[in-house]
Amino acid sequence: MADKPIEGEKRVFMTGNEVVAWAALAAKAEIMYGYPITPQNEIMHYWTRMAPKFGREFLQTEDELSAGFTTAGGVLAGRKAFTATAGPGNTLMQEPMSMAEAMRLPVVVVVQQRGGPSTATVIYSQQEVTMTTMGGNGEGLRVVYSTATHQELFDYTIKAFNTAWKYRFPTFVLGDGYQAKMRESLTIYDPEARGVTLLPAEAYLGKPGTPGVDRPPAQYRNTYNVEEELYEVLQGYFKDYEKMAPEIAEFDAFDTEDADLVVISHGVVSRAAKGAVKELRAAGYKVGYFRPITLRPLPVKELRALGGRTKQFLVAESANGQLARLLKEAAYGCPVEMLPMYKPGVGITTEEVVARVKEIAG
Amino acid sequence: MGKTVKVLLAGEGGQGVQSVAQIIAEAANEEGREALYIPNFGVEQRGGVSVAYLQIGDEPIGAPKFLTGDIVIALSDRAVHRTRQYVGPQTLFVYDSSIENIEDALPANAKKILAIPALDVAKKELHPRVFNIIIMGAVVKATEVVSEADAKKAIEKKLGYKFEKNPKLRELNYKAIERGMELVARAM
Repeated sequence: MADKPIEGEKRVFMTGNEVVAWAALAAKAEIMYGYPITPQNEIMHYWTRMAPKFGREFLQTEDELSAGFTTAGGVLAGRKAFTATAGPGNTLMQEPMSMAEAMRLPVVVVVQQRGGPSTATVIYSQQEVTMTTMGGNGEGLRVVYSTATHQELFDYTIKAFNTAWKYRFPTFVLGDGYQAKMRESLTIYDPEARGVTLLPAEAYLGKPGTPGVDRPPAQYRNTYNVEEELYEVLQGYFKDYEKMAPEIAEFDAFDTEDADLVVISHGVVSRAAKGAVKELRAAGYKVGYFRPITLRPLPVKELRALGGRTKQFLVAESANGQLARLLKEAAYGCPVEMLPMYKPGVGITTEEVVARVKEIAG
Repeated sequence: MGKTVKVLLAGEGGQGVQSVAQIIAEAANEEGREALYIPNFGVEQRGGVSVAYLQIGDEPIGAPKFLTGDIVIALSDRAVHRTRQYVGPQTLFVYDSSIENIEDALPANAKKILAIPALDVAKKELHPRVFNIIIMGAVVKATEVVSEADAKKAIEKKLGYKFEKNPKLRELNYKAIERGMELVARAM
């Protein structure tokens, strides 16, 4: 059996789905549970092709409910487990992810967004933002990384496992159909050779010692008889989440200092926004670029500072204001005006962002 | 450093536009350049116009799709209709000369329009199976995003295992690349 999936570093040219499979291998994920759905199918295909060579495993379940719950089960048993899904599959996945929030299970889920509502298109969208950040009956106790390039898809899939196991909240890598299917170059690497420590998984049950004597008893519950007990448990979770949020919130920004208008986008759309802002700057427009990398938690401090000094935000997204809704909550009370550029289920090009900014500037 | 070249290829399913775009993207990547290729895809397995978006440059590529191509190549009647929207005043529009009664549908605003007899050459001179490789030659010449040698190397990488069994296939594919390049050179 081969030892390491990736020795050193290697420049490669592949689809985003293949990137995710390589990243999960590099992150020492032990098992994937999954159910096929376009456009994430090839994550499973590549994983099942490569995993056995490195002693890793795969279980195909009967649907996404089951894929989510088996992933939770894998984690409880102390395995680095993950799953991948999209669209209506992500909808079904919310029930097990809600349990993962309740029991603080570090499951990792890769989502390749497709059009919605319902079956809609198998192609592309950013319409799974609300569901991925706040889905399930609960309080959104989860982490969501929104990637823009294949390099990030690799980096953040690896990071997702560490974030999940360090903080014990379900962690999502939010991609989309474009990232899933397109091919571009990136460098894949052995994270440990780069000095990245991969946190080990550990079993939740069967720890050594006498419960209540040598260690706290292991009580992993998603059911409570008394309102106050649930309330108390949740207060602890919120405290943990609030403490974690500034440690893990990430963003990317440039040219915002003197900007009258800042284009805010996330994921693959930020590629168009970045190109547009550079082009507009070169043409003398006072525009800036801001992109939250974590959609949950958002980089609230930076957003509020920006919202306090910028006249206008242009929110560009392939959804009907799902990112904007998160931003409005984060920047509540800031004087900034938020302008929409919503194209639900459709891609956004550099040319379109440039045209929209020029239109606003008059 | 040149600007990013945007290429749109469209044809019927089976004409090989996706494999052409992928091979060129891989060849550019092998040269150390930045490349991004994305197919259109939907629920249909057959019957739709197949569109490939290809971008090659020296800087990391931005948005995966674009509104206006530098080079737009349409290989069927329906593909001409589908791709007109991607044509602007700087666009080189290439179509196959075997498409009949298409004159009225050709984009009026292109910088230049080229008709190349790729299908004819494939059928009569070479082999219908290398039609897509002729198109690849045409794209290589029209865009100059990769060298002829690297284009051949990329084909070797893709089909080398078949060439091992039948060296004549290599000759046929190389000939197809060369003919595709010639067709564009002549039409220019």
